[in-house]
Amino acid sequence: MRANIVKEIQSRFSDHYDDFFIEEELVEKTTIFLIGFNTLVDLAKSKLFVQQMADSSASVKALFKNLSDRINIDTEQLIQGILEGNLVIVSQDGKQNVVVDPIVKNLRSSISEPKNESPIQSSTDAFGDDINTNVGMIRKRLSTASLCHCSYQVGELEKRKISMLYIKGRTPKALIEKVNEQLKGINTDIETIDDLNLQFGKRRLSPVSHLSATELPIQAIHSLKENRIVLFLDNCPFALVFPNLIWDMLGGINDRNFPFILSFMLRFFRVIGLVATLILPALYVALVSVNPEVFKLDLALFVAKSREGIPLSAFLETIAMVVLVDLILEAIVRLPKSVGPAITMVGGIILGQAMVEAKLVSNLLVIVITAVVIASSAVIGMQNSLYIRLLKYPILILASLFGILGVCTGFIITIIYLASLTSNDVPYMTFRIKQEGETK
Amino acid sequence: MKNKHCKLFIVFMTLLFLCGCWDIKDINKRTIPLVMGISKENGGGYKVTLQIPVLKNESQVSRVVTGKGETVTSALGKIRTSSENALDNTQIRLIVLQNNVAHNQQELSGIVKFLMGSEEIPSRALIAVTDENVEDVLSSINDKLGVHASSIYDFFNKGAGWAPEIFSTPLWEMYRSLFSSTKDIAVPVIRSGKNTVLIFEGSEIFKKGKIIARFNPDESQLIRVLQNKNEKGKIESLGFASIMVSNSSIQYRSSLKNNKLLLVSNLHVKINVLERKDGVTNNKIIKELERISEKRFYEIFKQMKESHTDIFGFGQQFQQLISYDDLKQWRSEYYPELKVVFEVDVKME
Repeated sequence: MRANIVKEIQSRFSDHYDDFFIEEELVEKTTIFLIGFNTLVDLAKSKLFVQQMADSSASVKALFKNLSDRINIDTEQLIQGILEGNLVIVSQDGKQNVVVDPIVKNLRSSISEPKNESPIQSSTDAFGDDINTNVGMIRKRLSTASLCHCSYQVGELEKRKISMLYIKGRTPKALIEKVNEQLKGINTDIETIDDLNLQFGKRRLSPVSHLSATELPIQAIHSLKENRIVLFLDNCPFALVFPNLIWDMLGGINDRNFPFILSFMLRFFRVIGLVATLILPALYVALVSVNPEVFKLDLALFVAKSREGIPLSAFLETIAMVVLVDLILEAIVRLPKSVGPAITMVGGIILGQAMVEAKLVSNLLVIVITAVVIASSAVIGMQNSLYIRLLKYPILILASLFGILGVCTGFIITIIYLASLTSNDVPYMTFRIKQEGETK
Repeated sequence: MKNKHCKLFIVFMTLLFLCGCWDIKDINKRTIPLVMGISKENGGGYKVTLQIPVLKNESQVSRVVTGKGETVTSALGKIRTSSENALDNTQIRLIVLQNNVAHNQQELSGIVKFLMGSEEIPSRALIAVTDENVEDVLSSINDKLGVHASSIYDFFNKGAGWAPEIFSTPLWEMYRSLFSSTKDIAVPVIRSGKNTVLIFEGSEIFKKGKIIARFNPDESQLIRVLQNKNEKGKIESLGFASIMVSNSSIQYRSSLKNNKLLLVSNLHVKINVLERKDGVTNNKIIKELERISEKRFYEIFKQMKESHTDIFGFGQQFQQLISYDDLKQWRSEYYPELKVVFEVDVKME
């Protein structure tokens, strides 16, 4: 004889829920029902756990009390508990129930090394999929009472957990309140980082995100200390730092493990890489086809010689090579590690050797393109590298139309555009956010 | 919002259709002459010669293209028409004038004004004069071994320490001297060499576009020194010793008292003694060098005074003392009265 409440839960999960279980168990001569998903709950171990608890409890009621604080709640909440991967226990008469944290099946990998970043001379722990672990990693490394943690459950189809961390007294209150409101106001499903990004204001066509993702706890902690907010999304192994600033691309906290002059050098090279990626292909087109008079005499003759007999115009060959290289970069990322080197080799041979020997592109251009690829990888963060690779195209097109003038205007327009970006009134181009209560 | 998009679209389309980008020629589709020679035909027209580097052929570095016409413009236009590629004059680095052009004051100033006014030809192109057929000078590069297409230009660009005698005069300085009342200009004279591409023969002194005199390389050198250009690397033979100048500088003090113009100039020279005969003291070398330099200066200065040519630019030193309007009569009124005290101070390193 099953209680109504058990029947009700059973009816909800009757069809197409093959991993749903209801197990009867005899405790203290009364039957209790264990309910849950056997894909999420380790049933055997949980049973043992309940038995052990039962042995040390006087009655069923006491057992339930010992097991959890969430006793005697309504059916909807029970169902939610089941969906969250908890074990629900209902007594025979259905009058008592409890949601228990079960012994879970291990569905997560343990803390591992970062996959997308490679820190030098620093801790190699990276964030994992579990949101609590991630917050824990921050708490462990930043043991202060001012570290605040707000959590949210948002979404329509599924409730996803979002955690917001900030340091009280440092992060500006206005910023916290605004982000808090925006997170609470989410009424759509958050599936990707970009879904979350769109919640912070309209930036649909912008390549620059509001959030800067990092895998490294030390980087996240550094951002917290820099008066910024760190967000965690469950099942997302990244700390999402809000707001994203241009400095994230140029300088990381890991640089400061070296003496100042070395970290200055590293950052200086990243600036060179950023500028080179933006203007080098454009400069090539501008100088070769529109404004050759800028060249020094020897250089002009050398360039003219290297382009002798090449059928494509400078703009066409440049855009072809740039697109090809971007394709290769994308392909290498997607491929399994065992095939990647093969593509790299084939790409290198085809682009570097065969195209030059076939006189399809000039060898000077190959050098320029190689420099651009290397330069674009010098900045921190894959998303930053991607967006500066995108921003070079408008400058390239302007350069092919207006030459050096086009390069300059394109570069200036790019800077103006980046300077116009704000996230919750914090400009993207700012170097640091003011501490709460700090005036100029 | 829709209006805004429409405006953006119009701006974008105008950018695309009005930019003129269809006229853009890649650098390898352009003919890039490096040296331009201008000479006068017997009939009265001009002949323009261009030295164009050949990129494909390894054995020949350049070719020479000529065009004839009533004016320099029409001659250039004829070359432009017959050229295989688009003619791009922006890389012209040297303009060689044959003496039959250079000796005609009116024509020369006309040509200089045209070259300066032309948008394509860079005003930093150098000017030189030759007594030979200008075509021969430009084509002489082809039968020399181990030279580049740009060798004619490189000749002028060796740098002060390497060849202190050679100097260069850019087009804009020539243009400026046409209007200057206080400074005249020297233009290098070249001819084609037997083993090397060019040989430096000295300089022609131009006063408002008119040739006044020709100086040999040693005299040209002194002009440079007095214009405060470094004389480093110059080797001087004194008979009993030879020295090398390692540094030089000059200072002027100008004064105007009782309508008498006086200019005191101090030339400081540092020298290294390269070789000397036995028993020659340092003091003797210094004395001799000072004597030679002063003698050389006073000789040139006398010669220049007679022709009212201020090649040293002494008039520049009196700009604070004489009014602008009066300076216009500098050459005829003030310059013949100018007294210059030239002191050489030699130091041994």
